Parts: sequence; structure tokens; C-alpha cells
Amino acid sequence: MTVVPAQQSGGAGGTSGLYDVIELILDRGLVIDAFVRVSLVGIEILKIDVRVVVASVDTYLRFAEACNRLDLEAGPHKSPGLPDLVGEITESGARGKSKGALSGAAETVSDAFRQARDEGRGEEEPARPRARRAPSRGRKEEQE
Amino acid sequence: MTTYIYGIAAATHPALPEGMGGIGDPAHKVRVVRHGDLAALVSDSPDDLRPKRRDLLAHQSVLDEAGAAGPVLPMRFGSLAEDDDSVVAVLADRAEHYTERLRALEGKAEYNVKAAHDEQAVLHQVLAENPELRSLVEVNRRAGGGSYEQKLRLGEQVTAAVWAREAGDGAEVRRALEPCADSVSAGPEGTGWLANVSFLVARDSADGFVAAVEELRRNQPHLELRVHGPLPPYSFVDPGPARPADDAAGVR
Repeated sequence: MTVVPAQQSGGAGGTSGLYDVIELILDRGLVIDAFVRVSLVGIEILKIDVRVVVASVDTYLRFAEACNRLDLEAGPHKSPGLPDLVGEITESGARGKSKGALSGAAETVSDAFRQARDEGRGEEEPARPRARRAPSRGRKEEQE
Repeated sequence: MTTYIYGIAAATHPALPEGMGGIGDPAHKVRVVRHGDLAALVSDSPDDLRPKRRDLLAHQSVLDEAGAAGPVLPMRFGSLAEDDDSVVAVLADRAEHYTERLRALEGKAEYNVKAAHDEQAVLHQVLAENPELRSLVEVNRRAGGGSYEQKLRLGEQVTAAVWAREAGDGAEVRRALEPCADSVSAGPEGTGWLANVSFLVARDSADGFVAAVEELRRNQPHLELRVHGPLPPYSFVDPGPARPADDAAGVR
């Protein structure tokens, strides 16, 4: 369950909650033109405008490697076709659940776990916490 | 001394967190500036206020605390007035608008949903649906991973297929949860997720919303969903003339 009561945001576990809603605090909310707003220059944890990831050779190689590692032969994934899709989704679901336990933690933390998991599969790829979740406008635009 | 504004509430709000610690180090105490039917939560501000983690948290905490007992219009972080009198002037000037907004948001909270792909799961799906990609993978594997060019070719096609799914999945998240919300607002774009959507949910139907999220999780197990709420209604304070709150959820 990843519903994080907002009240927790002020508590010990608050930083992760804050991380996930920071763009709302900084980019939404009431603005009154009679008031001055502090400059956002130099913000230490702002993530929204620094992560323009462009489709890159790195991305392609990473996906290619991930596909190579993917266990297509195991269980329901063998010769996957549409008839097998249901079984496949079910199995992915179990993984999704286990990841769910990490949800709500700071993204950097879950990325660290993910990386550890990937390394556990014998992957020697260096850590790329930002590149892993790279779906971005930037890339889409370049793609088009 | 500049005055920092956290949010605006009705003067009848039953439990404004007066005296609570706000921004600054040491924390400045939260005060309440009243005018007519309205009250603003304010505090003194440090001269060098920056969007630091501690101050962002303080902003959020004050609004959480106030929002738990009644509707509050959350300010965007970092709003500064010259002094308390300037705050009073704004409350007086726009009393009607704020009062209307407070009424509209009474008993409602924002739930923010971010979705990302479980990479393993989505790769499985993409390959399952695309025999051509699957055979490319097989070729590469037989070649011990494939040449640099082979990897690039595979990676490019897989990336395109995953992106295509992102667009569809993003729409699906919104479609699945929209019926449980009074209003919907697309969050700021970011690169960490394929969907970032805020929903305005009546507090007494929050259970239904959470259940809808759980159902979405079950139905779309390749999606990692992160839900945050109840939050102060950051995304619903000022919909603007082009997008009245009442039909923001309506999709033609």
C-alpha cells in the first residue's frame, strides 16, 4: 500500500513523501501577484527541470542489455505470444507487488534497491539511477 | 520584516495551527492574519529564504496541519508579502474569490498519482506482443549479446515500443481513476514517470479512490503507482477562467 498520509510528510519519513510531491509545492498552489516569490535558483532538490533526458545511445544499449538478460524461456514467458500474455502479466504482478513495498521511499532509494537487484543478476553495468527511468518528453520529441 | 504566506482559510476554520513552527531555522512561529471572513496563515521569513528541504517541509507541514481540520488554499512555496498589512489588503481585495474557492474545496483533498513502468514487466509485454523484436533478441543472444550495432538496433526499437506503451498507459491511469474524483489536474511534466496526475477527491469518498488505485494495480501490474494524499489541494486552488473546477473532470 503506497498511500502515504500527508500528515507523515512532516515526520521522520517525510523526506520521501516530500520528494514525490515537491513539484506540486513548487509549481502548483495559489500565486498572488501582489506577493513576491523567492527565487528558485539554486534549489538543491528540484528535479523537475534538470532531468531532460534525450534519447541516446546509452538508452538504447541499456534496453538492449535488459532484453538480453530477460528470461524469455522461463515459465509462462516461453515463446511468449498473446495467448500467454495473461500468465505473464500475473507473474509480473508478483514482481510489481514486491516493488510496491519500496514505493513511497525516495526514488533514489528504490533505484538503489533496483540496482542492487540488477547486480544480483550478474549485471556489471554501472549505476545509472537517472537513466533507468528515462521516459521523457525530450526523448519523445527527438524520436518524432 | 517580510511576511511569508502559507495559505488562506476561512476565519471560521476550527483549528488553524497558530504557534506551530514554520519556515526558518530556528523555526518562525505561524501566525494568523485575519480580515473579514478570511484568515491567512503567515510567519516571519528569513532574509535569505531559499527552497531548502527543511523549509519546503515546513510549508507542507503547516498546510497539512491546517488542512486536516478544514479547507485551506495552499500558496505555492515562497510567497512573500512586504508585511502583514499587505496580506490583509489582498484578503480584502479578493475576498469573494477566496471564499468561493474555499467553499468549492471544502471536504476535499488532492491525491497525486505518479505511474512508472516496471521495466522488467513492460519489456516482457513489449516482447510478447512483437515477434520481430523477440527474434532480434534471439539473434543477439546467439551472437553472445550482439555487436554494438545490433544492440543499438534492438535497443532503439525496444525503446520506441516502450514509449508507445507509456502514452497509452498514462491515459489509462487517468481514465481509471477519474470517475472517483471531482476534478483532475495534470501535474507538471517530469522524466521519472509516465503519468503525473492529481485528483481532487472528497474526503468521505477517499476509500473508493484508494480502492480504484488498488484495482488499477491489479489490472496493470506492469505499472508502478505511487500515490500521495490527502494533500493540500495545490493543483485545484485556482483553475482559472478557462477551466472551471466544476467541469475540469468532464471529458468530452
